[in-house]
Amino acid sequence: MAEVIRLQKYSFAYPGASRYVLRDIDLSIRAGECHCLGGSTGSGKTSLALALKGLLPDGETNGVISRFLPGGDGAGGLGIVLQNPETQILRRSVGAETAFGLENLCVLPAEMPGKVRSALDQAGLDKSFEGETGKLSMGEKYRLILAGQLVMGPALLIIDEPAAQLDPAGLENLLEIIRRLKVAGTALLLLENRPGPLQAAIDHYWHLNDTGQLLTGPLARPASNLEASPPRLPASTLPPEDNVIDVLGMTIGGAEGLAVWSDVSFAVPPGQRVVLTGSNGSGKTTMLRCLTGFLQPDNGTLKVFGAKPQARELRGRVGCLYQNPQKQLFETTVFDEVAFPLRRLRENRRELAARVTETLVLCGIENLAPMSPHTLSFGQKHLVALASVLVIAPQLLLLDDPFAGLDPKTAEKMLRLLTKINVQQDTTIVLATHEPKNLSCWADQTLTITGGNVVSH
Amino acid sequence: MFLIDSKNQQKDYQIRKASKVSLSRYGRSTVWVWFVVALVLSFFAFGAKTPVALTWLSGGDIVLFAVHRPGHRFIRRMFKVVCWQVGLIVTLYCLRFGVAEGLLSGLTTSWQLCLAFLPGAIFIETVPEHLITRMLTDVMPSRSAFVLATCLNFIPMVLAEAKSIYEGQVLRGARILPKDLANPGNWAEMLNCLVVPMMIHSMKLAQEIALAAKARDFGKKRGRTAWPGESDS
Repeated sequence: MAEVIRLQKYSFAYPGASRYVLRDIDLSIRAGECHCLGGSTGSGKTSLALALKGLLPDGETNGVISRFLPGGDGAGGLGIVLQNPETQILRRSVGAETAFGLENLCVLPAEMPGKVRSALDQAGLDKSFEGETGKLSMGEKYRLILAGQLVMGPALLIIDEPAAQLDPAGLENLLEIIRRLKVAGTALLLLENRPGPLQAAIDHYWHLNDTGQLLTGPLARPASNLEASPPRLPASTLPPEDNVIDVLGMTIGGAEGLAVWSDVSFAVPPGQRVVLTGSNGSGKTTMLRCLTGFLQPDNGTLKVFGAKPQARELRGRVGCLYQNPQKQLFETTVFDEVAFPLRRLRENRRELAARVTETLVLCGIENLAPMSPHTLSFGQKHLVALASVLVIAPQLLLLDDPFAGLDPKTAEKMLRLLTKINVQQDTTIVLATHEPKNLSCWADQTLTITGGNVVSH
Repeated sequence: MFLIDSKNQQKDYQIRKASKVSLSRYGRSTVWVWFVVALVLSFFAFGAKTPVALTWLSGGDIVLFAVHRPGHRFIRRMFKVVCWQVGLIVTLYCLRFGVAEGLLSGLTTSWQLCLAFLPGAIFIETVPEHLITRMLTDVMPSRSAFVLATCLNFIPMVLAEAKSIYEGQVLRGARILPKDLANPGNWAEMLNCLVVPMMIHSMKLAQEIALAAKARDFGKKRGRTAWPGESDS
């Protein structure tokens, strides 16, 4: 098969950076091949993808990128699907969204509908042109984004961290699309540490180390200690009135009158580790919002600490880490960021400093205390956000997809930390995730959402 | 050289012609009419001072509403915004002028503000975004039109993000619940805990959106064509 792209001794440093983020990269990708590139958070995977597409800012560059693409050396014919689907859908209708790339390439309007329909078929999205993009499920959105790339006929398609966004069913769909693209001669580069079912289509593995060098093989996974910290409490050892969460016959309505949850019942005793799982859009975040009192169920009873949840009453008792928690950071130092909840609880100054330091040590980020949280890496910001929730020693900790976007090492570190506070502080943990596979032996109780109902096991 | 320029100009002309043809075929004039109606209603709302004038404008808004028929979600969202807006403005007026004088003035100003922003909100909600882009292309460069239309498109997402940050901060102890904000001493907290992170996050989102557009070759060529519209399907 013909070569699509070749990098020779390619190095890149961002403007003003003291070190190269990519160093002496040698890589060749041929038509019909699927390569998988791993690496810890911030190791430069996305930078490499942007370099291939020619989207990096002007920085210090060495080496050569040779593109053998239909659009010449201007990176035309190279598609890239970025991490966050929400910021990649720019239009409100399926047709207009898919045609966006064609508009930019000045394709005549009369030629667009045929090309758009063909791309939607390739991506396996059976929607009319007038379908609203806002009403698509996450899996459908992902296929729409793929169609938006495929419509431009890329010879090489780069997909950044698909497993962070897609549930197992979505990944199976993506696998089928990748297989079809490979047969059609499209080269693929997946930036992924946890390819899961996509492994079946991958021909070559690479990973970037912390100095920006490209090495062969996947990123080594850290040894898991999950088996060393099995669940401690059988669900039935405590009287029901002591339950931290009690849900009975709860129904929650979503947009357009459709029920997100219907007649759901479950209980969570103190100190339990609960994994709440379900496909994208099944209502995991909705449940967490109900538990924090920001959303009221339409029917049924919901009690947290024996009472109807109200955000005001839960302050200081419940810690909640929403998706992408870095966005809540606002202080000028990590210390102040972590200290903020204690200041609001009017903790005295000496006690406050001791508890903040203790939490920073617990999270292994004590060295970051004087730094600005906004200058930290993705993984470090994640840990700072977690520390700012843990500092109040919450009795109930709610986590919404806490491992999304984290590399295996940071994810493992975070899970060890959660295990530690569960064991040492008896904190009840409810963890929502679309990737429950690795957590089944960790949880006391797994709540699976299917079709608006919950199955506990 | 001349030949190349001439060829490019011919292609540009074809592209422009094709865009214009599809534009007129799919109701460019209708979109303009509704845009002007919304603009006029909003404009007069700023000038209207008497209850009679405001009542007439409300009638205009009701007609606009009945014609466009936005969905239940929009109505719920607008209802919440109006409640907040009325509550905040009436409170501020009462604090400044006292209840006797402030209540009526506050209600009138709130009514006026609702009438000023509602027509625009109905227009943006109900007119397909690609038609707005095309309409804007008539009065500004296509790239600027796209950027403006995209900004409008992402407003609901930014609001959802703001809500998520708000809820996270409340549980971290921030005193920004409606009851907390009754105390003006907590207003600065709203700025620190919500507005500042929201601004930082919005800038990040803007960068991501710009990158996503560039990843699909936005800005690679000088001009742009326009999707002919859903009717072609």
